[in-house]
Amino acid sequence: MVARGRKRAARESEKGILSPPGYSAIPIKFSEKQQSSHYLYVREHKVREGTKSSWPQKRTLFVLNVPPYCTEECLSRLLSPCGPVQSVELQEKPDLAESPKEPKSKFFHPKPVPVAYVVFQKPRGVSAALALKGPLLVSTESHPVKSGIHKWIRDYADSVPDPEALRVEVDTFMETYDEKMAEEEAKAKEEEGVPDEEGWVKVTRRGRRPVLPRTEAASLRVLEREKRKRARKELLNFYAWQHRETKMEHLAQLRKKFQEDKQRIELMRAQRKFRPY
Amino acid sequence: MGPAHKGAQHRGTAGEPEVMVSALEGIGKERKKESSKKRSGSPVEGLLQPVKLSRAELYKEPTNEELNRLRETESLFHSSLLRLQVEELLKEVRLSEKKKERIDAFLQKVNQRIMRVPSTPETELTNQAWLRDGVRVPLHQVPYTVKGCFRFLPPAQVTVVGSYLLGTCIRPDINVDVALTMPREILQDKDGLNQRYFRKRALYLAHLAHHLSQDPLFGSVRFSYTNGCHLKPSLLLRPHGKDERLVTVRLHPCPPPDFFRPCRLLPSKNNVRTAWYQGQSPSGDGSPEPPTPHYNTWVLQDTALESHAQLLSTVLGSASGLKDGVALLKVWLRQRELDKGLGGFSGFLVSMLVAFLVSTHKIHTTMSGYQVLRSTLQFLASTDLTVNGISLCFSSDPFLPALADFHQAFPVVFLDSSGRLNLCADVTASTCHQVQHEARLSMVLLDSKADDGFQLLLMTPKPMVRAFDHILHLRPLSRLQAACHRLKLWPELQDHGGDYVSAALGPLTTLLEQGLGSRLHLLAHSRPPVSEWDISQDPPKHRDSGVLTLGLLLRPEGLTSVLELGPEADQPEAADFRQFWGSRSELRRFQDGAIREAVVWEAASMAQKRLIPHQVVTHLLTLHADIPDTCVHYTGGLLDALIQSLKETSSTGEEALAAAVRCYDDLSRLLWGLEGLPLTVSAVQGAHPVLRYTEVFPPTAVRPAYSFYEQLQERASLLPRPDKPCPAYVEPMTVVCHLEGSGQWPQDAEAIRRVRAAFQLRLAELLTQQHGLQCRATATHTDVLKDGFVFRIRVAYQREPQILREMRSPEGIISLRDTPASLCLERDTRQLPLLTSTLHGLQQQHPAFSGVARLAKRWVRAQLLGEELTDESLDLVAAALFLHPEPFTPPSSPQVGFLRFLFLISTFDWKNNPLIVNLNNELTAEEQVEIRSVFLATRTKLPVMVIITPQDRKSSVWTQGGPSPQTVFRPPLDMYDVLIHLSPRHIPRHRQAVDSPAASFCRGLLSEPGPSSLMPVLGYDPPQLYLAQLREAFGDLALFFYDQHGGKVIGVLWKPTSFQPQPLKASNTKGRMVVFQGGELVMVPNVEAILEDFAILGEGLVQAVEARSERWTV
Repeated sequence: MVARGRKRAARESEKGILSPPGYSAIPIKFSEKQQSSHYLYVREHKVREGTKSSWPQKRTLFVLNVPPYCTEECLSRLLSPCGPVQSVELQEKPDLAESPKEPKSKFFHPKPVPVAYVVFQKPRGVSAALALKGPLLVSTESHPVKSGIHKWIRDYADSVPDPEALRVEVDTFMETYDEKMAEEEAKAKEEEGVPDEEGWVKVTRRGRRPVLPRTEAASLRVLEREKRKRARKELLNFYAWQHRETKMEHLAQLRKKFQEDKQRIELMRAQRKFRPY
Repeated sequence: MGPAHKGAQHRGTAGEPEVMVSALEGIGKERKKESSKKRSGSPVEGLLQPVKLSRAELYKEPTNEELNRLRETESLFHSSLLRLQVEELLKEVRLSEKKKERIDAFLQKVNQRIMRVPSTPETELTNQAWLRDGVRVPLHQVPYTVKGCFRFLPPAQVTVVGSYLLGTCIRPDINVDVALTMPREILQDKDGLNQRYFRKRALYLAHLAHHLSQDPLFGSVRFSYTNGCHLKPSLLLRPHGKDERLVTVRLHPCPPPDFFRPCRLLPSKNNVRTAWYQGQSPSGDGSPEPPTPHYNTWVLQDTALESHAQLLSTVLGSASGLKDGVALLKVWLRQRELDKGLGGFSGFLVSMLVAFLVSTHKIHTTMSGYQVLRSTLQFLASTDLTVNGISLCFSSDPFLPALADFHQAFPVVFLDSSGRLNLCADVTASTCHQVQHEARLSMVLLDSKADDGFQLLLMTPKPMVRAFDHILHLRPLSRLQAACHRLKLWPELQDHGGDYVSAALGPLTTLLEQGLGSRLHLLAHSRPPVSEWDISQDPPKHRDSGVLTLGLLLRPEGLTSVLELGPEADQPEAADFRQFWGSRSELRRFQDGAIREAVVWEAASMAQKRLIPHQVVTHLLTLHADIPDTCVHYTGGLLDALIQSLKETSSTGEEALAAAVRCYDDLSRLLWGLEGLPLTVSAVQGAHPVLRYTEVFPPTAVRPAYSFYEQLQERASLLPRPDKPCPAYVEPMTVVCHLEGSGQWPQDAEAIRRVRAAFQLRLAELLTQQHGLQCRATATHTDVLKDGFVFRIRVAYQREPQILREMRSPEGIISLRDTPASLCLERDTRQLPLLTSTLHGLQQQHPAFSGVARLAKRWVRAQLLGEELTDESLDLVAAALFLHPEPFTPPSSPQVGFLRFLFLISTFDWKNNPLIVNLNNELTAEEQVEIRSVFLATRTKLPVMVIITPQDRKSSVWTQGGPSPQTVFRPPLDMYDVLIHLSPRHIPRHRQAVDSPAASFCRGLLSEPGPSSLMPVLGYDPPQLYLAQLREAFGDLALFFYDQHGGKVIGVLWKPTSFQPQPLKASNTKGRMVVFQGGELVMVPNVEAILEDFAILGEGLVQAVEARSERWTV
């Protein structure tokens, strides 16, 4: 496999563009003016048998090294000559699963960063894309892409929020949330005090007598209390051996301190800390 | 001290930072990538490890010796660490036995050589033709004519005196003082009169110098002044060859015992006749001659050399603890620059002081060195020698002069065992007060049981520039001659043998102390350095001793007043007041009806008020001492310009910050009283640097010119326009708003965010409705425009961080684990407001805090390191300068605070110490010890800089993100690989630059602030947006550095590690390309394309991308 990859890479190097084995490289430029180009490394999206992947097999193109100014629309436009594009998803890392089903709220989630999955409508699009020679141009006369000052001003304008839209979103979310909570509550109420098949009854905090919450902190607190209770019962410095041991303990502390200090002095001496001037 | 010693020392000082850097890099590397290695516990060079002793070692039977030592440590020293430190220090400054032997041998030879110097025939004193060429008399012979004869005879006796014999001399300057007793035949009766003794003494040395300089034994033969006294030269001999640096032998000629009658040399007697001194014939009009106490003392000092040496050797001789104590005291004095020059608190003086304390039973001979140091400091701190002089003389001889007589003649009094010689004759009152002040500070430090007390007490140098708030230099010194005449100091000049610098020093300092009054805490002066010169040269003139430096330690509470209140006009003191202040004094009528003399200084802003001492000093010096202000070089506000915003050039921004804080107070009052919010507001806390007075350039009220912007009418906002220069930068000030507790909050993180957003919307609505404020709500905050300031209110829910931390284990137990989101929220809503309010409080205590913190930030950002060191961490370091100023006092001027900041960050050992900032004094000493041990145990997991506060005892929240060890000590601004030049048109803070541009672009503001109905453009700073984009896109390939205060250049540094060819991997293809290298396909950064990307991403902002080094060509 590796050998084959190498051979293929070597073949490509004759054509001038190198690519990692299994990938093909498409040069991409921002505009005509840019001298040297970045390379998109593309591959058909394939997974081993049995691995779950929500991206459709055969029709998905996996793209690496998407330049920072390249947006989803722009990628879609660039690849559309190869065949109609169904969707483009930019991600931070390669990820097998398709992104969460529900659309992300633009108020609560910032945009992710690029590795791209391009889903074509037909498998032919993938092969056409793999054969693409380029160089692709991100910004052209007909479709200028904004960067720099223009982009920032647009971003700023976009960031000025519409309070109404925000309100509507919050309200709908809270409605569904409240519904969900009410449902759960009703379900819990129904189950309350009803034994399961083996006859166990689940005790919840809604019961008549509140129980300890099942948290780590609470259990630690209980342990601590026990320990204190035990410590109170113990007699200290009662027997002679206890006296002896306390003294020895004190001495050991002093020795330990002394060793620590000696180490510090050693270090300071090494750093010439004792040369006053 | 060997000849190579100086070199070694140089290496030592230069090597120190190096050690730190490499050491720090050590941790950094470990922290950065080798986390697995870290766990395996590889010992790092130079890093403290927690001590692990085996059980057997810890619990073995103690030996008698060990028990004794432990007991001794407990009773005689502070702690075992201090004991070890003191022992190490003494080892370092003590003379080794080997060197002692070499010095002894050298002394033997010196003795022989001196005895062999030939005698000369007797000549008149004024006839100095017999002196050979190549040697000059080491004395200013003014006036030249003196009656009397001189001949040279070898000394009657050569004795070693001083610290060498006692074993208390300390390195690196080993001096051996040798007293040469001149034979009686040289001297005549009345030699004590009119400098005749001093002339003979000088000629004696000149002849000796000539002969000894011929001898190959000596590497150098030079003259110097004994303790800086201009009438008393001494001869310095250094061995030849590699031992040249080993020792300096100082020869002091002295009269035979009992030659001078002590009663002739009492402080009330005159021994320099006015007529002779002024070169006139004796007038004989019977006018009383002025006493010459200093002259008399100098003669007496020579007669007492041996008796002092004897006294010291009997007292210190057998007690090693006392000797240790004297050595420690000498180090202590030297670190404070108190021991040098005429009137310095020399080692000899301090030895005598210890002898005095032994004789009064304040020190016992069995005490340890540390205890001697402590008792002496205690004595110095509690005794004012300018009022209550002390005496080593316990005889009740009625003929001896009383202490009061000495107090009349000298400012400071400490009599020796004869009861006639004042050892502190040359010490000025202000030097004495300085010593007292230092002793007091040191006692506080020792009592505080601080862990690093030793370091601060004995190892930290206190040069004037870091110790005093304001410094002024008087230059050239020749002006002081005129000053002496103006101040009518002729008798003093006569007494000091024409040394106008020391004659004028006392009166000048008294004058300034009186004038500065309540503004001044302490006035100190530098002492002219003791010069050395070649025997073939004339002795240096008084004016050649450089500059006179005065240091002012200011009293912050006194700095706020612009008024000098005098007596009422009809009282007799009014005349004195008028005379003292001259034309500045005027009659004023006050509100209580009183008419008083008063002086009013012009000062509008805090910065100008801080500089009132400058006005006082120049005014008084011109008025009373004829020293024009061109000769007074005052440095108090040199750095103020860097934190001045342009509009009001006289203010350093304290007023603007106070205005912003006032506006914030108003807003918080509005929030408290807001009606109609589902939950009432329980707390409003500021979280922005402006609200803790540490924003470098405080915001001003803005009023945008609408024509400059695009308008978004439906949302009442302004937008920047691409065709105009970018608008003024308006940063919203963050305010955290806590609501009263309620059980109604949802218990799910996503839902909480929605509810918070609903609160933000409601808040905006209510503020607009009830108070007519322009608001803009987003999901996380509400921006409020109030009086031209923009605040960003964030609603916080107390339990939210907790909910973010909750994790449910498979068994259903809920445990709390920190997550990045919870930590971030906790920091923003709890710790940051707390820090802000604490530092706000600190500013009320120390008015200079704001200036120091802002200068420090300004500097760090100008070094392009602003991204690495967070705002908060810098504020905490600045706060540490005020809360833990030891061994200094809290700074009262931004300048000195900034210098200490630089000293702190350049010397602090971050690797082995946390910087503990004890805000509000909440941490006890035991807690601090605990913190230190936790720190040592977890060092490798902690960030490079660790700053501990009472609220943040373990993790050092503010330094988690950086700095990386490489950047802390990177030399500034040198080799950046790529420079990205930005266009000033789109830099909104262009005018804040260090070299402020003469003109910049219009930023769309109207000159007067007024009500505005539209929200200005907020937080729109193109360079910052650009940087964020760059870091996002290329953050793993390069580091970007920028000065947010108007920087025009972004420095780019490629990360060397990311330029290593990488194997092929899907996850690291960003910005790289595949090349064929060494028979393999590897990925390297696609540099050409990236450089072009820099330009594309910053289109409009970037002027040029300049690739400077070729390091990236792989």
